[in-house]
This record gives sequence, C-alpha cells and structure tokens, in this order.
Amino acid sequence: MAFQTRRKYCFFKENNITAVDYKDVKLLKRFTNDNGKIMPRRVTGTSAKMHRKVVSAIKRARTIGLMPFVDSGSE
Amino acid sequence: MRYYELIYIVSSNVERKKNDQAMKEIGKKIQETGSKIINHIVWGKKKLAYPIKGNTYGTYILAHYQGGDNDKLREFDSWLKLSDSAIRHMIVKLDEKPDIVESLEEDKSENDTAEKGEDKSPDEKNPKKEENKDEENKGAK
Repeated sequence: MAFQTRRKYCFFKENNITAVDYKDVKLLKRFTNDNGKIMPRRVTGTSAKMHRKVVSAIKRARTIGLMPFVDSGSE
Repeated sequence: MRYYELIYIVSSNVERKKNDQAMKEIGKKIQETGSKIINHIVWGKKKLAYPIKGNTYGTYILAHYQGGDNDKLREFDSWLKLSDSAIRHMIVKLDEKPDIVESLEEDKSENDTAEKGEDKSPDEKNPKKEENKDEENKGAK
C-alpha cells in the first residue's frame, strides 16, 4: 500500500488553458512546492510546452513580488 | 506596433492622494513617449511576497499601452527605475492587443479541483499511516 501508481496528466490540457498569466498567482502556486521552488515536470506531469510558460510566468511573478523566491514557511 | 503591459508597485504607506499623483505622473510620461494608453487601473493593495525597499505591503497598478518611440520607451524604463513614485516595476511585451479592463478581481474564487485521485477509505488496520500519506508531501520532497 506504500506505493500507488497514479496517472500523470497535464493540468492545462485537462482544463483547456492555452495561456499562462503571471498575475494568476493561485494557478502558479500549484506548480511550486512549499518552499516556493518550481516543481519539475516529472512531478507535475505538465507538458513541455506549458511547463516553459509556467516557468517564465513564475519568474515574472517573483520579480514583481507576487510570489516568493524562497518561502521559509514562517507564515 | 507592439503592445506592452506595465505593472508597478506604489508604497502603501503613502496617502491616496499621492497614489493618484504617481499614476498621473507615470501616465503623463507614457504619453510623452508617443504611446497610446489603453488601460491604467489600480489592481489593489496586496501583501508582498518579500519586503521590497522596506515595504511589506504595496499597491499594484497596471497599465496597458501601445508602444511609441523605442528610444523614448527605453528612457521611460530607466526613468521609472530611478523615480521614487514606484518601488518596483516591470514591463512585459504582449502577444496581442489587450482588452479594455474596468477592474481586476482580487481573487477568482474557482472551485478547488482537488488533486486527490485516491479513495480515502477508512482503514481500520492502520489509521495512523493513512494520515501521513498525503499527495502534497510527496511533491515537497
């Protein structure tokens, strides 16, 4: 019971999203871990095309202070 | 012609009057570059993810414009960096013409599409172990 196979799927393909906006923090939070690091594709299952868009959107959000570069988890 | 999106943060400590003043000033500067402003709206006061120049809160202001003279736009970018009215700014190129926005919602309250595909059947044999197995913990490590 320790290991269960789970189907990986691209979140964007499933929801028919084609563009990622850096202002949509709620969506982007899904692709970072608790420390604010961007999770790899092998974990999230996102398609390569959308993962590139997610990465650049997260980096933009970090620049403008919407998302943390590093979240120490004190909140 | 290119379309640009400018987002900048005004320190939330300043009064509303100064907030408007900064918007006016920056709007004027954009027009001086020969650009056409499409949107210029206040997004709202937000908590910053990390302190910027000693501020923990900031008012986000968003502007869309159609680019004018390139050299002047570059000048405008560096002027904004030096100016005191905005504590942080970012200019992003847009792929297509932006829509006219009246106001931006704070947070879209969409249904939480839970990622839990597993059934949480109450296991009588080992209820403690069942609790520890969370999908999110897997991703964190």
